[in-house]
Amino acid sequence: MRISLYLAIAACLAGMGVVLHGAILSSRDAGFAQSNPETVSVTDGGFASDYFDLSYRAPDGWTEGLPGPAPSQSGYYVLGNWAPKGDFAGTILVVAQDMFFGPDSSDDVKSAVTQFRQVMSKVDGMTIDREPTEVSVAGRPGYRVDFSGVGLFRSMFAIEIRCHVVMFNLTSRDAELLASLAGSLDHLVPVRKTSDPVPECVRDYASENVVHRVEPHAIGIRSVSVPVRVIVAADGSVKHVHVIHASAAQQQNVEDAVRQWKFKPYANQGHPVEVETGMVFNLKPASM
Amino acid sequence: MKTIELARAHRLTGVAAMLLGSVAWSGAAFAQGASNANTSTGAASTNAASASPNAASAAGVQANNSRGGGRGGGGSGGGGSSSGGGTDPGVRGGDPGAGGPLQGLNDAELSFFAGSKDVFMEVDAVPNGLGPRFNLDSCSGCHSQPAVGGSSPPTNPQVALATAAGAKNTLPSFITATGPAREARFVRNPDGSPDGSVHALFTITGRSDAPGCNITQPNFAAAVANNNVIFRIPTPLFGLGLVENVPDTALQSSLSANAQQKRSLGISGHFNLNTNDQTIARFGWKAQNKSLLLFSGEAYNVEMGITNDLFQTEREGNANCQFNATPESVIPLQAADLASPAASFQSDIELFSSFMRLTAPPTPASGAAAPVAQAAGAADQTAAASTQTTGTAGQTTGTASAPSTAASTTSTMLASASADASSVMAAAAGSSTAAQPASSSTSGASVTRGNQVFTNIGCQACHTKSFTTAKAQLTGQSNVTIQPLSDFAVHDMGSGLADGVSQGTANGNEFRTAPLWGVGQRIFFLHDGRTKDLSVAIQQHASRGSEANTVINNYNMLSQTDQQSLLNYLRSL
Repeated sequence: MRISLYLAIAACLAGMGVVLHGAILSSRDAGFAQSNPETVSVTDGGFASDYFDLSYRAPDGWTEGLPGPAPSQSGYYVLGNWAPKGDFAGTILVVAQDMFFGPDSSDDVKSAVTQFRQVMSKVDGMTIDREPTEVSVAGRPGYRVDFSGVGLFRSMFAIEIRCHVVMFNLTSRDAELLASLAGSLDHLVPVRKTSDPVPECVRDYASENVVHRVEPHAIGIRSVSVPVRVIVAADGSVKHVHVIHASAAQQQNVEDAVRQWKFKPYANQGHPVEVETGMVFNLKPASM
Repeated sequence: MKTIELARAHRLTGVAAMLLGSVAWSGAAFAQGASNANTSTGAASTNAASASPNAASAAGVQANNSRGGGRGGGGSGGGGSSSGGGTDPGVRGGDPGAGGPLQGLNDAELSFFAGSKDVFMEVDAVPNGLGPRFNLDSCSGCHSQPAVGGSSPPTNPQVALATAAGAKNTLPSFITATGPAREARFVRNPDGSPDGSVHALFTITGRSDAPGCNITQPNFAAAVANNNVIFRIPTPLFGLGLVENVPDTALQSSLSANAQQKRSLGISGHFNLNTNDQTIARFGWKAQNKSLLLFSGEAYNVEMGITNDLFQTEREGNANCQFNATPESVIPLQAADLASPAASFQSDIELFSSFMRLTAPPTPASGAAAPVAQAAGAADQTAAASTQTTGTAGQTTGTASAPSTAASTTSTMLASASADASSVMAAAAGSSTAAQPASSSTSGASVTRGNQVFTNIGCQACHTKSFTTAKAQLTGQSNVTIQPLSDFAVHDMGSGLADGVSQGTANGNEFRTAPLWGVGQRIFFLHDGRTKDLSVAIQQHASRGSEANTVINNYNMLSQTDQQSLLNYLRSL
């Protein structure tokens, strides 16, 4: 299990009396609204994500594959992947793309799948076996597209959750197994045990609704772009800051600054609600 | 079940390593986790543990981390000549198809190319500026396979040079006669802070042209023992002038054009941006160098110890080892004896960059003459495959704005690329155990199928096939379509390849997508030259945290025949 090593190290450090801010979900961070997309429990048996409110049970006899990279600067996450323990006949890859930061961030799920279909149809030797089709995954509307080439049969399912396109990529050496893998998505279920409201996604909310801001400063000698997701509480205070991709020092620096921000409260039909939005800090050294 | 935030957990390992210092947390599992820490903590993350996995692996590395196996049982690597269903056909023999000038240049440019190539091949001694510390005494010594301007040759020239002219150098353990030419970088300074710089292998101590100089080599044995040294091999230089002339906008468009496909494969990637102007740097293993001139100036100083107009100060300050005025290489005020009058008044680094700028891309083999091996026991399933044209690397077309000769001569160039299949097999015999001769029809079909496999399983998501250059100063080089098979972005390649060295915005896990044009004639693969086996190099793309894991999974799910076709295609490039 991927997390076991980290837990062991954390335990070791705890034994040494070392306090590591944010290393383990504290009571302040715990909970649905404050979790982050990469906060995923991955095991041989599947995964559970508080942030995406999803739990998945992998097919029997499958095991967790090599983990993917850490969150990218464009807000792309590899959430988990699985393959059979024996014959390497198929794979399941679950990924998510933040719709605030991607290169084509205006996409919705339908256009993302349509674009994907267009790209794959231009691949020499690739056949589109199922045109983008509306489906329901974990009770959410989404799209599915099937394609095949060089002996590999593949399906991509995409749904939108909290300003992310979440994609389930299934690959198999035979069409029958692919159908079985598609069926395994029926095992996707919610994990929420609370009735906390889900923040509303509002693109660029920070561009015109900040009433008090503290600028983070650059660290080091290089210019960097730091993507950040923020949850604004119903009263306009900052409830949660998620620095997606940065050095540890830059992360702390940005978190400390943004936590001091104040926003105009956001109202939906007259009721103040929480807002989830994204922004990018382009930090340049003072000498530049 | 307890839950932990993975990205922060990665950082935690780094923090743990710093806190524990030299405590023996050197297990492979920990090292891999620590290496992942680099990804999440970026450039500032180098720490006591981050260097371990690759510093250890780089010294004698074998594939060890891929999973799966496919029907051909691929995946485990292991350093043999075959790590799965496919067998590397080996280095393509015959005509190098590389090292010559760009097609379409005028006479003055061709003569400038000849002059710059002469200087690129010059061998330097201390009176010319060599040292006090250096890795080799000429550019072409390292950049020579399969022709001047290429990569590491089969016999490592560093071995003989270590004691040339009376020098008293000891060969580090990672430099061998049949291994790749290498530079060494230390990951950490003695105080644990990030290093990452090149530590030259040799000194001029004892050389007859350096009387009185007495400095010692870095303690490479200790660095190896402490997993504190990583290696880089020479990057091929063919066609780089055309790469230099690809607009940033074309690179950016390419990266985003197939973003949806990349997302389905676990791939993201970003460019290594030059700090001051935020344009795309594209040269070097981590795309750390913005221009060919910068590349040349830095290498002249770092690899050969020759100060120049861009890097004007000696790296070694010992007064007893300074024999020349600095910078040692400057613009000459008197004409040198070169083929080109214009070249005679250029500094060495200008000529090096001009050589790279004027050198043509490597020429792929034509499909029928491509080197192939057949998958053991596999029938030729590819006969009915697509009949599309092969030979995809190289400079392919000129447009209406380019002189007509460019297009016509390009066609000639591709058609003349006729690698001798029998010589390929002979070359393959040294590095592959199961290479078998194949008929021309089989080889052509297999290479064609391999091209299709390459695209289908997602290799081309990063190894982007083509770009078009901008308007160029050089004759016939405007709007030329090139096929370098790279997106020139940097990608997280996971703990298996991570070297713990940050350069620009590329962190310790990230490397530029290696251009694959000419890969058919390369001997050593990956940044540190850890393997001669192309199939092992493919498998090494997969490890914890790598963006390539899904593509390698796809490769491992292929039929044995298709795995072989992919290898045959790559060796045709």
